[in-house]
Amino acid sequence: MSGSRLIGQLIEALRSLPGVGPKSAQRMAYHLLERNREGGRHLAAVLQQAMEHVGHCRDCRTLSEEALCALCASDRRDRGQLCVVETPADVLALEQSTGYQGLYFVLMGHLSPLDGIGPEELGLDSLEARLQAGQIREVILATNPTVEGEATAHYIGEMARAHGIRATRIAHGVPMGGELEYIDGNTLSHAFAGRRDV
Amino acid sequence: MSKRCLAVLEPAYILHHYPYRDSSLLLEVFSRHHGRLGLVARGARSARSRWRGQLQGFTPLLLSWSLRGELGTLTGFDTRDRAVAFAGRHLLSAYYLNELILRLLARHDPHPGIFDAYEQALRELAGREEPALRIFEKCLLRELGYGLLLDRTADSGLPVEPDVMYEYHLERGPVRCDNPAAAGLYLRGSSLLSLHEEALADPQANRDAKRLLRAALSIYLGSRPLKTREVSRRLATFTAVGREAQERHDMS
Repeated sequence: MSGSRLIGQLIEALRSLPGVGPKSAQRMAYHLLERNREGGRHLAAVLQQAMEHVGHCRDCRTLSEEALCALCASDRRDRGQLCVVETPADVLALEQSTGYQGLYFVLMGHLSPLDGIGPEELGLDSLEARLQAGQIREVILATNPTVEGEATAHYIGEMARAHGIRATRIAHGVPMGGELEYIDGNTLSHAFAGRRDV
Repeated sequence: MSKRCLAVLEPAYILHHYPYRDSSLLLEVFSRHHGRLGLVARGARSARSRWRGQLQGFTPLLLSWSLRGELGTLTGFDTRDRAVAFAGRHLLSAYYLNELILRLLARHDPHPGIFDAYEQALRELAGREEPALRIFEKCLLRELGYGLLLDRTADSGLPVEPDVMYEYHLERGPVRCDNPAAAGLYLRGSSLLSLHEEALADPQANRDAKRLLRAALSIYLGSRPLKTREVSRRLATFTAVGREAQERHDMS
């Protein structure tokens, strides 16, 4: 090791990033110190700002530095549709690739009773309050097609129905450009069961 | 130093999984011949992994692993059978089975009987949900050495008669009781026999069996409540409200 306490601390701190081990952390630290001090200062400042000011949107709970995120505040979105997703990254994915014009609700996880995460821990009370408010016509369940995601979708689906709101689940099936032969059995059986008229 | 143990394509289910390191999964596995064990699936969460998304719960799998010490490493897997296609409704019950196994079975303690009962219960959840759960609970207690006495009384050893009331003394068995008091676990003889024969055809027998098994399990589960039970209860309230609304809608 270099013997410098501060450099050691910087390397240690960089390791909190995903996928960064001791070697990459060391390379990053020396890169910033030797070649890009300006970039390093900028990173430090922005990081500081983001950590201080980014919180959760009051309505959809996605990450946002405003009390109400841009999507929820927009007057061009359809307030009758609510798409339920697991993470803020899912919102981004849907925004980039679908023409969806409604609003979102971000669970920040999924139901996982074996980890002690039930409806309360997931904050489903606030979702229920929104369903109760009466503006929403359709809840689109876009949780992941995993066992946990299915359980979560089912729970929220029942909750929506209890409030007389239509609940829909995103389809799952064969990926575009995929070949049936190489698709796992689970996906294929789902795709087959969910076939549609052409 | 413990010796290395290799298992090849063992029948197993994944009970639970946790993210592990950056791109791996830590699987809590229930195998037929090696009991519960923890396996690391290296790289299973990375975008290019061929395992990605396939290591799901409630799917009959064949797993290969190497094990030294407490945690093993998954070396390969195959699906054993068609996965049971679960509607969301039964998923919580299936989770309940997993929670029972995780709470009551120690690691590295093989219980092929419980494994077979688990597989049976998963298959039957979609049809006879409540009886499937009760029969699994009964088998779980029996295999753990806490089997319930159901066809004979605990005091006299006489056969249980269908039309007689019994008080069930936990860890002992049923005792004939002709005038039940308010407190205590009272059951009809017919319900005890129905559970004994694993028939559980009528609602009364199912309710009685549920009461009995819940009381019997609570001794071994300790004071921490089961989370799946709590979630199921809340879900049931929504389902009931939804059904009522649907019926009103259908009638009008």
